[in-house]
Amino acid sequence: MAIVYEFVWQVLHVLLHIHRTLITWFRIRLRNWNGRLWSRALTALIVPMALSFPNQKNIVPAPGKRVGRRYRWGADGKSLEKLPDHIGLLIAEEEPRYTDIANLVVWCMAVGISYVSVYDNYGVFRRNNSRLMDEILKQQQELLDLEGSKQLCVEFLNNGTDKQDQQVLSCQSVLKVLSPDDGKLRIVQAAQQLCRAVEQREKTSEDINVTVLDSLLRESKSTPDPDLVLKFGPVESTLGFLPWHIRLTEFISLPSHVGVSYEDLFSALQRYASCEQRLGK
Amino acid sequence: MSWIREGELNLIEKLSANILKAGPMPKHVAFIMDGNRRYARKRQVERQEGHTQGFDKLAETLRWCLNLSIHEVTVYAFSIENFKRSKDEVDGLMELAKQKFIRLLEEQDNLEKHGVCIRVLGDLTLLPLDLQQHIARAVVATRTHNKCFLNVCFAYTSRHEIANAVREMAWGVEQGLIKSSDVSEALLSRCLYSSNSPNPDLLIRTSGEVRLSDFLLWQTSHSCLVFQSVLWPEYSFWNLCDAILQYQLNHRPLQKARDQHREGQALQQQEADRACLADLLQHHGNGKPLDAQRRQEALLNYTASREERVQDFLGALQHKRDSFLTDLTRQAALA
Repeated sequence: MAIVYEFVWQVLHVLLHIHRTLITWFRIRLRNWNGRLWSRALTALIVPMALSFPNQKNIVPAPGKRVGRRYRWGADGKSLEKLPDHIGLLIAEEEPRYTDIANLVVWCMAVGISYVSVYDNYGVFRRNNSRLMDEILKQQQELLDLEGSKQLCVEFLNNGTDKQDQQVLSCQSVLKVLSPDDGKLRIVQAAQQLCRAVEQREKTSEDINVTVLDSLLRESKSTPDPDLVLKFGPVESTLGFLPWHIRLTEFISLPSHVGVSYEDLFSALQRYASCEQRLGK
Repeated sequence: MSWIREGELNLIEKLSANILKAGPMPKHVAFIMDGNRRYARKRQVERQEGHTQGFDKLAETLRWCLNLSIHEVTVYAFSIENFKRSKDEVDGLMELAKQKFIRLLEEQDNLEKHGVCIRVLGDLTLLPLDLQQHIARAVVATRTHNKCFLNVCFAYTSRHEIANAVREMAWGVEQGLIKSSDVSEALLSRCLYSSNSPNPDLLIRTSGEVRLSDFLLWQTSHSCLVFQSVLWPEYSFWNLCDAILQYQLNHRPLQKARDQHREGQALQQQEADRACLADLLQHHGNGKPLDAQRRQEALLNYTASREERVQDFLGALQHKRDSFLTDLTRQAALA
């Protein structure tokens, strides 16, 4: 009897796997088909540019169009009932695509989100910080026609120090690159710091409470907790993302960051705007 | 038994359960039982009725979990944030909890028969004294049972739990039981309210909300999260099966992530021990550098002595917590 159940279980999981694969396949097909349609329309109607268009991203519209897009994205952000102050991009996939992530970061900032965090549970982004930064600056240029740091600027906060507070004030948006070490390990380090203070009789154990611990775990006084985390990939877990900071964070799952479009991001933001936070009440 | 509904699964449910059990099953499931008030509005009944039906649904769900061989369940019954609700609602919830715990104590024989161990996680000092006493009696009475475990989070938030764990470690340092360098991820985990339980494999939240609301943030970092739109009082056996299916689909990548995290933790602990040893040798050694073998021996000795310190501290912590509960039961007996 057990063998029968096991057989049925195997069949069930194969079917689910096929179902998942088909959905992904259809989604990509649909997007490419749409993309080709739009890019053909764009080139026919607007610019007689002789650029290849099998992929929507290769289209480089006229500079006027880029500025138009920047204002449209900004207007989109203002049209939402609420926008997260701090968005987390959790990449739960094996191979990160830097261009796609850079696109997401640039779109988030264009829409008006002040703090953007990027996270993966292998610490790949942390290790390849400069490559990510280069890609973001490149996409900023390409998507928004912004040279250097005019309106949007990117500050990389790795470990909170007071010096960063002053730099942050001069930027409109702040990017944080996070890894699992920023999660539990940071909490443990804060705990060690407090215990050392107790050891040296600077504090007593009774002095330790949520507020004290929270202030130690805050990168800078002004950085808010993530309001929204967009999780990319099939794994349904936070995978160690900032356990302390996500107590009230909304989690929205997207199937993949590979080939993600602005519309995908915006519909997630629309979904966030419609959620109701009762805060215990 | 009022807390666990009696009854068996019907044929189709039994078949489905057996099929699911052919794959990896979660051993510990956590529930955020959300949606009681929305259910009450939908059915146009009193809010309190929504909460009562929510409790009945809990009893039913525990029965399903036992049928599915899930022997540990943690539920989020009342958050510290919920104290912000109207006095009427809070009083109503406290009264409901008191009734349920009193009922539980009346069914002690049944609890013993099923081997149910009840634990209540949270800052009990925030609750009315009579409720604290009932809770203490229930926890002490079922302490030795070990067939299945129900952890009820009452007057709980994860941040309070983590801060409390840090405070306990600081207490350990104050008492001279441990050193600040002994503080580690593993030790913090053993100081949480949930220290006697493994981390949940699966966390389910009902009513369509997609947030954790300060519930088990530390313990669920590598758990499978399933958000379901059904309201809690309407939860069904099939909803539970659906969640378990999600768990099975995520099992392998989560296992891999967990193993990787554990390896990283072990390496960090080794590094920390090495650094502490180096510090010790510098301050208390005779200045002569040790050869590789002596160093290795010294490291093993240091690790062993640290683990012994930690064990003693954890023993003292458990004793402190047990005493708190037994004092409450004694007060209740005298009253």
